[in-house]
Amino acid sequence: MTRYILTRLLDAVPTMLLVLTLVFLAMRVLPGDPALAALGDGAQPEAIAQFRERFGLNDPLWLQYLHFMRDMLTFDFGASLMSGERVAQLLVSNLGYTVELTIAAVLLGIMGGIPLGVMAALNRNRAPDAGFRVFSLLGYAIPDFYLGAVLLIVFSLSLGWFPISGAGDGFADRMHHLVLPALTLALLKVAFLGRLTRTALLEVLGRDFVRTARAKGARENRVIYRHALRNALLPLSTGLGLSILSTLSGSVAVELVFNRPGLGKLLITAITERDYPIVQAGVVVFAAAVVVVNLLMELVYVIIDPRIRVQ
Amino acid sequence: MANSEAIPLPEAPRLRRLAGEVVAGRPAVIISLATVLVFAVIAILAPWIAPRDPMAQSFIAINAMPSSDYLLGTDQFGRDLLSRLIYGSRNSLIFGLLSPVFAAIAGTFLGVTAGYFGGWIDRVVTRIIDMLLAFPELLLAILVAAALGGGFWNVVAVLTIAFTPGFARVARASTLAVKQEPYIEAAIASGVSTPVIIFRHVVPNISAPIVVLMTLWSASAIRLEATLSFLGIGTQPPAPSWGNIIREGLGNMFATPWPILTGGLAITIVVLAISTIGDAVRDALDPEIK
Amino acid sequence: MAEPLLEISDLTLEFGPISNPVRVLNHVSLSVAAGEAVGLVGESGSGKSMTSLATMRLLPASARLTSGRIRLEGHGDLLALPSDRMPEIRGRDIAMIFQEPMSSLNPVMTVEAQIAEAIMLHQQMSREDRRARVIELLRLVGIPDPQARMKAYPHQMSGGMRQRVMIAIAVACNPRLLIADEPTTALDVTIQAQVLDLLREVRQRLGTAVLMISHDLGVISELCDRIVVMYAGHVVETATVDDLFDNPQHPYTRGLLRAVPSLETSARRLYQIPGSVPPPGTIKAGCPFAPRCELKRDICTREMPALTPRGRDQRAACWVTADTPMTAEAIA
Repeated sequence: MTRYILTRLLDAVPTMLLVLTLVFLAMRVLPGDPALAALGDGAQPEAIAQFRERFGLNDPLWLQYLHFMRDMLTFDFGASLMSGERVAQLLVSNLGYTVELTIAAVLLGIMGGIPLGVMAALNRNRAPDAGFRVFSLLGYAIPDFYLGAVLLIVFSLSLGWFPISGAGDGFADRMHHLVLPALTLALLKVAFLGRLTRTALLEVLGRDFVRTARAKGARENRVIYRHALRNALLPLSTGLGLSILSTLSGSVAVELVFNRPGLGKLLITAITERDYPIVQAGVVVFAAAVVVVNLLMELVYVIIDPRIRVQ
Repeated sequence: MANSEAIPLPEAPRLRRLAGEVVAGRPAVIISLATVLVFAVIAILAPWIAPRDPMAQSFIAINAMPSSDYLLGTDQFGRDLLSRLIYGSRNSLIFGLLSPVFAAIAGTFLGVTAGYFGGWIDRVVTRIIDMLLAFPELLLAILVAAALGGGFWNVVAVLTIAFTPGFARVARASTLAVKQEPYIEAAIASGVSTPVIIFRHVVPNISAPIVVLMTLWSASAIRLEATLSFLGIGTQPPAPSWGNIIREGLGNMFATPWPILTGGLAITIVVLAISTIGDAVRDALDPEIK
Repeated sequence: MAEPLLEISDLTLEFGPISNPVRVLNHVSLSVAAGEAVGLVGESGSGKSMTSLATMRLLPASARLTSGRIRLEGHGDLLALPSDRMPEIRGRDIAMIFQEPMSSLNPVMTVEAQIAEAIMLHQQMSREDRRARVIELLRLVGIPDPQARMKAYPHQMSGGMRQRVMIAIAVACNPRLLIADEPTTALDVTIQAQVLDLLREVRQRLGTAVLMISHDLGVISELCDRIVVMYAGHVVETATVDDLFDNPQHPYTRGLLRAVPSLETSARRLYQIPGSVPPPGTIKAGCPFAPRCELKRDICTREMPALTPRGRDQRAACWVTADTPMTAEAIA
């Protein structure tokens, strides 16, 4: 098992390097001059030259690449063009809000999605299943930022139950600010995870060991939650990884809707303000998050499935 | 050569039967098709059916509530919301149509190349595809948009890049399967050139899953374009798109909720309709792909 | 004979629409006495597995029982019990082992957890006692080094070992009846013999009654005292092993016997009953075996014969042999 984890960890290193390389290529080689992007189309030639000099854009590409890799691997992301703040500092101060939102939404999504999926599977082709199907179709079609905006209008603007913007100070206030954004992302997770649970559980319930569990005298609840669901978790954990990442990407829009600080808002604001160092760092951080989450999910898989452990 | 001429290709009757299967006995699919058709007509006829110029500002009718003058009211610049929604449908549908097609072409090219030739090409392509597939489409799109910036062709490029890995994976897997078929071996043995084999025999035979994905993902593309426009990195104002109507509506929500409500509803309805059609196409064409 | 341990009477089971039902079991009756080993034999599709699943009340949801009782000594009619009473009986009074040792164990639970669960569901026991009992059970079913092996997961064991674990689970609470549904079919021949030996030993040590289901008369005769032959949802013959082998009174039984390899017949080509079992629901009247029967008469295609006594402890459902009993010579 330790060897398996080590292999996975080692495997993540080239993936991360590849991701960084792709980010570099996207930022420097794709059409679109970073200097023009940062300064705007009407920029003075002197300003552009100055910008290129400052960010080493006149160096040969391989040297730029080496500098880029060195900076990223030492977490040296430079300073904001707008405020002059260290980008690393900005990232750290925003990270907590995004992590808090993502974790809350994923947890809510799991707590809602798995029981709903179980309910749909156990009532296959009956009313609760049909109801769930409509819900999950809607969950796929409604964009998260729209759902968030509607919740904001109804519960914050009209009813005044929740704050309209910000992330709050102190635990209780932060939780209060977290409710609507987390719920927005969670509702769509519920639909997605519920559908996955339903499919996986229906498949598992038809297998022989479920019959064995019943033959032992296990009651239905035990059969479903101890035997079937645990096996259904194997395909579910793959979906969960995807779900965490789509929650993370959804948080970008939701942070904007609820005017909440966070990595997504930082990145999007930087893009519109053409704050090049922040954009570059933000892209790297999100890309790194993908690698890290996938790695974590592989480790979760090891815990759930003993068959991987021994290999 | 005669040998390869005799190889059956997907024929027209099959497509017609397929269309029948997609619709058969499913009122939801018929309603969805009608919905998409209505939106398509609206998008095409926008200049003739929009009551006003979607960009025309009016200082005497700022944030007007729905009335007989402005059926859905106006925004903070006094622009007619209904007209903006009608013109906005053009953006949504064109992106929903264009980007899956481009992504399908790019993805099929990559996937077939990797699958047919194998070797190091396959290893490199597969590795990159696998890595990109780890990214949710939205995240990939945001990251590429961060590098490219907004504007029509950039958005097309962003969406295309976001969907290409998925097409490439399916195309590669299907190519590997088709390559095992005896008629490919027969074609190779009878000296048919590689490009002919690929375009006459491989590509037509992997078209089914690609078509399914194109339908399913045009819904995703519409939602994705809306999200990017909402984030301010898609369609740039003042040009209307459903996403940026909601974006501007959010800044103005204290005055009127209508832009948010109607813009979001339009996205939801179209995405719902297209994904219903996509599911039906999938069920009829290939029950195996999910 | 006192009241039997298990008595299935007049069991009829249907699938499909009520207007056009497909009958899978047709007034099936059989009984198992305490400590007795009964073999239920028949080709696939004969309804033998459905009979065993009905006894456990583990039939698929689409199955309909339209008549019959399943009496378990001390519990009355199991079919009349509310369904939430069945878990108390399963595993404690009646336990079951299945055909597929590869898939019948939960892949994500250790062997120990799966055996301990069977104990825990019916008996109050401290964790240490339970572990000691698991080790004892593994030793009973002949798994070497139980302390180490119980930490294993099913995929780390061979098919024969898994079937031993299944047996350990089944006998964990000393059930009065053990239903074994084709317990050796999926195993290699040498492993088959080992598992049969184990079942025989377990039966002797624990005094458990066994209802063994198999398509293979040879396997059944190894273990059982009495045999019930099923064909297309009907019980067609029941007798002690000796009577059945020496003096079968149903042409189908005779066909089955001729198909069993033995020392005397090994030189010759094995006999095969011509034709195949009719799919359920296709025979509407008469004896279902009639289309394949060498002794068929007119009445056979019109009316189903009743199960009638043929000597001591033997009953058969055949018009022909009721008039003129088959002789031993006719078998060869």
